[in-house]
Amino acid sequence: MDLKLDPDDLNSCVQCGLCLPHCPTFRVTGDETRSPRGRIQLMREVQEGAPVTLEVQEAFDTCVQCRACEPACPSSVPYGHLMEQTRESLAAEGKTAPWRQRLAFRPLAMPRMLRLGSSFLAVAARARLVPRRFGVPRDLPIRRARHTTSGDDVYLFTGCVMDAWQRDVHIAGQRVIEAAGFGVTPTGDVAPCCGALQAHAGLTDHTRALAEQMMAALSVDQRPILVDSAGCGAAMKDYGHLLGTPEAEVFAARVFDIQEWLADHVDALPNVTPLDLRVAVQDPCHLRHVQRVHLATRTVLAPFVRELVELDDDGLCCGAGGAFSVLQPELAGDIRDRKVAAIDRATPDVVASANPGCSMHLAAGGVPTEHPMTLVARALGVL
Amino acid sequence: MGLLDRLTGRTSSGDPLADDLRAVLSADRVRMDGAERALMAKDASVFGGGVAGPTCFPTSTAEVQAIMRVAAEHDSPIVPRGAGTGLAGGAIPLGAPIVISLQKMNRILDVDEANRVAWVEPGVINLDLSNQLRPRGFHFAPDPSSQSVCTLGGNVANNSGGPHCLAYGVTDAHILAVEVVLPDGEVVMLGGIDAEPSGLDLRGAFVGGEGTLGIATRIAVRLTKNPPAVRTLLLSFASVRDAAQTVSDVIAAGIVPAALEVMDQRITVAVENFVGAGYPTDAAAVLLAEIEGLDAGVDIDAGRIDEIGRANGATEVRRAQSDEERELLWKGRKTAFGAIAQMAPDYYLHDTVVPRSALADVLEQVYEIADRHDVVVMNVFHAGDGNLHPLLLFDAREQGTLDRVHAAGAEILRASLDAGGVLSGEHGVGVEKQRFMGELFTDADMGHQNRLRRGFDPVCRSNPGKVLPEGHSCADIQQLRAVPTGVWG
Repeated sequence: MDLKLDPDDLNSCVQCGLCLPHCPTFRVTGDETRSPRGRIQLMREVQEGAPVTLEVQEAFDTCVQCRACEPACPSSVPYGHLMEQTRESLAAEGKTAPWRQRLAFRPLAMPRMLRLGSSFLAVAARARLVPRRFGVPRDLPIRRARHTTSGDDVYLFTGCVMDAWQRDVHIAGQRVIEAAGFGVTPTGDVAPCCGALQAHAGLTDHTRALAEQMMAALSVDQRPILVDSAGCGAAMKDYGHLLGTPEAEVFAARVFDIQEWLADHVDALPNVTPLDLRVAVQDPCHLRHVQRVHLATRTVLAPFVRELVELDDDGLCCGAGGAFSVLQPELAGDIRDRKVAAIDRATPDVVASANPGCSMHLAAGGVPTEHPMTLVARALGVL
Repeated sequence: MGLLDRLTGRTSSGDPLADDLRAVLSADRVRMDGAERALMAKDASVFGGGVAGPTCFPTSTAEVQAIMRVAAEHDSPIVPRGAGTGLAGGAIPLGAPIVISLQKMNRILDVDEANRVAWVEPGVINLDLSNQLRPRGFHFAPDPSSQSVCTLGGNVANNSGGPHCLAYGVTDAHILAVEVVLPDGEVVMLGGIDAEPSGLDLRGAFVGGEGTLGIATRIAVRLTKNPPAVRTLLLSFASVRDAAQTVSDVIAAGIVPAALEVMDQRITVAVENFVGAGYPTDAAAVLLAEIEGLDAGVDIDAGRIDEIGRANGATEVRRAQSDEERELLWKGRKTAFGAIAQMAPDYYLHDTVVPRSALADVLEQVYEIADRHDVVVMNVFHAGDGNLHPLLLFDAREQGTLDRVHAAGAEILRASLDAGGVLSGEHGVGVEKQRFMGELFTDADMGHQNRLRRGFDPVCRSNPGKVLPEGHSCADIQQLRAVPTGVWG
């Protein structure tokens, strides 16, 4: 079938294999069908008429879309876009993203329903009614503090699941930005969801609609939009490519990861006694490999903790991958085992992770995690 | 799968070979589906005629042995596979063999610092090994450009080189012993960790065997002490000839740098575009020189290389000021092949070795030959040991280009051989240089090579159709290639 892939993009891969060790699924399986090089080859074969068999479908479904293969690629193959387009074409044929998945994504764009549902889930999780493999934290909030606007210097994008499950991180981030002397407008329900998970599943039309909705809501002025979830930030920075309009390009250029933006204003934060913690930085893939601004996390954290340590696994994925840990629990677990081993070798008190999916996935694996903003806010004493 | 099989939990695929393999491994570690076979039919080379049988993922010597015995029962050929980064088609399956992937045998078993030896499994990645050893003061010296991906098993099979092999020697000099599963299923230990192993050096025969002699399942590698000091120089030249002459003069002056690498302008532009290491994109050629040793010594040698370079017309000499700068420069050199796709979707890479004194002349011929065949050529090479890597760029979708590329390639090989060189420096012969073997070796030479191979593998089960050309090898290559393929062949 026609996957609608750009032939030049496909041909930009010369099969050198330099991506292989950077691919988390290849690392844990050693199987070429679980590698970027292999998946690109399968895309070619399908494009040229080979049938989409169960095994071919599995090869595509098992991709975490961490995009660690992209910075490793000397020919800059746009793998992430190839995989998103492949999934979009397969979803259009009904070969992927079954109705259950489509149904599960729908509430993401309905903030009230999402919060209500998530409060029920929190109660159920406390009562141990949710199977462990879903990775739902036991301490999910039942009630959440209200968002308040403190000024109009920057937007803080609050999003969908993160706002329902980890609003405390938004509040920590907001307090830190305020401590640097800036007024913050949390976006709240006017921009309910960035559409990242939908795009990863091939439901790109949903993503386009959400992108349009967000751009309409947040384009009354040109102030920066700060994002404290690496996956959301990466998706929003890609709106230019997604929609292909000049307006979307302009909008995408206003999007910053919160650490990325704060790194330029870190001197404006007060001098305080650092937290007495040895902190390992876990780079979310979409911060390191897609946005490529992961060094900012160190700049922002360094003054506020006793010690920062690096992991020795070269930024390999933790296996969370948005909905990946729910859809491919076994593979996600194997990938996490590697990450946990790297964390153990670094012997930190706590792991700083700037993405909600990563931190929940790691926490479910027994790793103590905090968002970098939470650590900074605690050091500043603003929580 | 039939209903009965489902009820009884049996997994019968209808393929007796795959079923027997599943019985000795496990159902999930034997794959027979079209997607897997399509991918296993390829490696990093341009060769496209492979057909894979079932793919196995063993985790131990005993499992490799069990696979070998099943292969013997079914009279099936086998081909070992590491990371699939080979550029000569050595891992391309011919005759629908069992593909034995060693990826899951990736443990570092033992590091003995006192005796400077480590035992590793064949699926360990070359760079992973050095990264693990480095904090303990050691590394594994051979550093192929693909070292971040390629595995020790593949290094042994191809007797791989790398930039730093100029001073330290290629893989063969760093392998003390190999545990091998022979094609009949017997497990033997070749070589040993004693300083002077007795008897014939069968280990030496095995290293570079390209998978035709059996499968290495445990490898004893030599640990090399990390150098106390390193200096890295980047010299720019207005011509490739000046760079090549500098290399000859440096060696003639009695300096043995750890590495001497040359890249021409086209390749420099491509890698600089990727790494942004500050490679001069306006120089006709750059020479990357590295010196290792004691602090005082490396500065003296760096100074002498600087002088020799300037005497040969170097337009700029830059010294890396930090480890980061040094690493970035090397990253550029080591990702050169992969960066090609910026220019063309396909490349054909040669691997000839010529006497250093002939470097400059042969290079001029390479450019002339490529021009005459209307093919774009780029040169990046291990200049220190005369190992040329001319890359011929093309787009396979254009009618007739591949013929021109092959014609130009053949002439380049002949020019190298005429200058007193050899076919392959480090990538192996595989399938792609087979047809040139006759130009380097006599019939008697190849007859002896065939008899050696038969000593290990009397029935030609292991990686058939490779290295030795038709008429000298035991398998009829035409027949191997004639296996019919389905849509997912």
